[in-house]
Amino acid sequence: MSITAGDRAPTPAPAVPPGIEVTGLHRSFGAVRALDGVDLVARTGAVTALVGPNGSGKTTLLLVLAGLLVPDGGRVRIAGHDPVTDGPAARARTGWMPDAFGTWDSLTAREVLLTFGAAYRLPREVAAARAAELLETVHLTEYADRPASVLSRGQKQRLGLARALVHRPEVLLLDEPASGLDPRSRVDLRVLLRDLAAAGTTVLVSSHVLAELDEMADDAVFLSGGRTVRPDRGDVPADGAREWRLRALSLTALTAWLDSVGARWRPDDGIGGDGPPGSGGVLLPVAGEESAARLLADAVRAGVPVAGLAPAAGALERAYLTLEEERR
Amino acid sequence: MSASWHGVRTVAVLELRQRVRSTRWVVALVVWFVVVGAITALSWAAIHGLGGGPGVDGGLPEEVFTGPPIFGVVVFFVLFLGLLVSPTLSATSINGDRNAGTLATLQVTMLSPAQIAVGKLLAAWVAALAFLAVSVPFLVLALAAGGVPVVAVVVCLVVLALLLAVVCAIGLGFSALSPRTSGSAVLTFLSVAALTVLSPVVFALTVPAVTQDEPVRVWSVPLDYDWESGEPPECEWRTETMPVFHTERTWWLLAVNPFVILADAAPEARQAATVSDPLAAIRTAVRAARTGPATEQDWCTDTFGSFTSDGTPVAPAQSPVDVPEPDRSVVWPYGLAVELLLGAAGLAVAIRRLSIPQRRLARGTRVA
Repeated sequence: MSITAGDRAPTPAPAVPPGIEVTGLHRSFGAVRALDGVDLVARTGAVTALVGPNGSGKTTLLLVLAGLLVPDGGRVRIAGHDPVTDGPAARARTGWMPDAFGTWDSLTAREVLLTFGAAYRLPREVAAARAAELLETVHLTEYADRPASVLSRGQKQRLGLARALVHRPEVLLLDEPASGLDPRSRVDLRVLLRDLAAAGTTVLVSSHVLAELDEMADDAVFLSGGRTVRPDRGDVPADGAREWRLRALSLTALTAWLDSVGARWRPDDGIGGDGPPGSGGVLLPVAGEESAARLLADAVRAGVPVAGLAPAAGALERAYLTLEEERR
Repeated sequence: MSASWHGVRTVAVLELRQRVRSTRWVVALVVWFVVVGAITALSWAAIHGLGGGPGVDGGLPEEVFTGPPIFGVVVFFVLFLGLLVSPTLSATSINGDRNAGTLATLQVTMLSPAQIAVGKLLAAWVAALAFLAVSVPFLVLALAAGGVPVVAVVVCLVVLALLLAVVCAIGLGFSALSPRTSGSAVLTFLSVAALTVLSPVVFALTVPAVTQDEPVRVWSVPLDYDWESGEPPECEWRTETMPVFHTERTWWLLAVNPFVILADAAPEARQAATVSDPLAAIRTAVRAARTGPATEQDWCTDTFGSFTSDGTPVAPAQSPVDVPEPDRSVVWPYGLAVELLLGAAGLAVAIRRLSIPQRRLARGTRVA
């Protein structure tokens, strides 16, 4: 172990091996193909989002990565270790926070962390210091010596996150970590994950709060029907244009003007809003805020009764909705 | 070695903390103390009441100890309650954790499956030992009544502790096998019932199967003896065909019974009391069953020849039949060995089922 550490420390390493590497992963439960060909690379020092509809295999994938399930086929490397053949080595480097987990209600938050410190074979004093540090990180210090049964759902969630971090894992697997968290805690979570990634941790996080992921993730992996659909966030056009939503009191006036100036647009099939009859919106690519300002000025000058212009949903959400369509 | 013990202790401490801090635990110990105390008091009163018949002023003669019967009743009752309580200590410890979502988070740590299983077993056993500890005062009370050697208390406690450990291990095995806590609890209770109730029932039901009509040499009154003569008969050898119970083939059915193991392992009381000693009674019975039928029987000595016609006692004619010597060979090691094997099997199943990564999942279960 010391040899690896020595190897890693001095070199900034142009080719750092990825924290998680998955190729051709398959896993069936009876007739159900939970994973049906997953390829994934999560870079070291980056936050990778794992996105997919319910039942797409996210949790199963994380169970395989955490070393709890044997895959039927395929190759998995966690920080260079195979969780099946080299389980202990892989588990020593993995922190895992499941989507549904329990706490020992009679134990205090500190005791839970100390227990896990012992379970990861940390010396007693190291574990105690680490527990205090983590309780501070997840803002549970004032609950440190109260039984876990008094914690709220969000507080338990934070305790679960602290528990996954006890042994300073190189690879962090989080299954829906934001569920049950209040807005303040979500921001804290985002900051914490960014900090961990900056310190060289590989973070793989699944969530349904796509706006959240959009802000914290460097990469995204999409799962649909047990398959990785796109290896990365490919939906963003190369010129950096994002889609904006332009709404007007008269949809016909708006579309007539757009057609007359030759703009690319598509109908807004999202939530229509509850404007007056005849009003409506379109989606169109806009390359940055300056273009948006110009677009707005042009529209107003042309007499279009503009009601609003704002960036449409994030890239992740759009990609996600495409998956939903595929599912149907 | 020290690392693995460290892991076992971590799990055991976790389990015990979780258990000890619930108030039900204290209530259970108090109820146990009261119930065992009540049984001790009742058996004390009953046994001293029995002795208070006419002819003996105010109780049993001094040389008869009342300790053995009280001790026997209390020890059996503690075993009975222990067999009822122990399954609840371990039979939900794995599937319960799995349902609560706390098991998988432990499994992914550096703890090995064996450490988790042994830690859980240790915690359940320590809890069971707490019940035993609460019963100790009453065993000591029986000791004070006299007739029970101190070593009997020690031996009985050791055997009780081992038997409860076995029940805990069986419960642990079922809790690893069954996805539902109610299922594993029922299976554990059924196993305990099979060992305690089913074993004597099956033994009794197999008696006809091991019964054969066989010739037996009998030392008996001559067939042509004149019963009106008033003279004591001259007994003689005869061969009679009669049903013979070959319990030496089925004694092991009794030997696996926890109560038999406990009774047989308990050192004999210092003096055969006039009031029956339940431990000694079972010990004698099971060892007789193991010895099997005697090939020669004495039908003469105790039946006839006690008195002549004018009422003077006559020394019984010397019987050529050996007085059947009670078998001294012990039965409990066999029974205890079987029990310990069952416990080891339970533990092995638990370790196997706790191993990760898992290949197969039980129907309807999630890993985490």
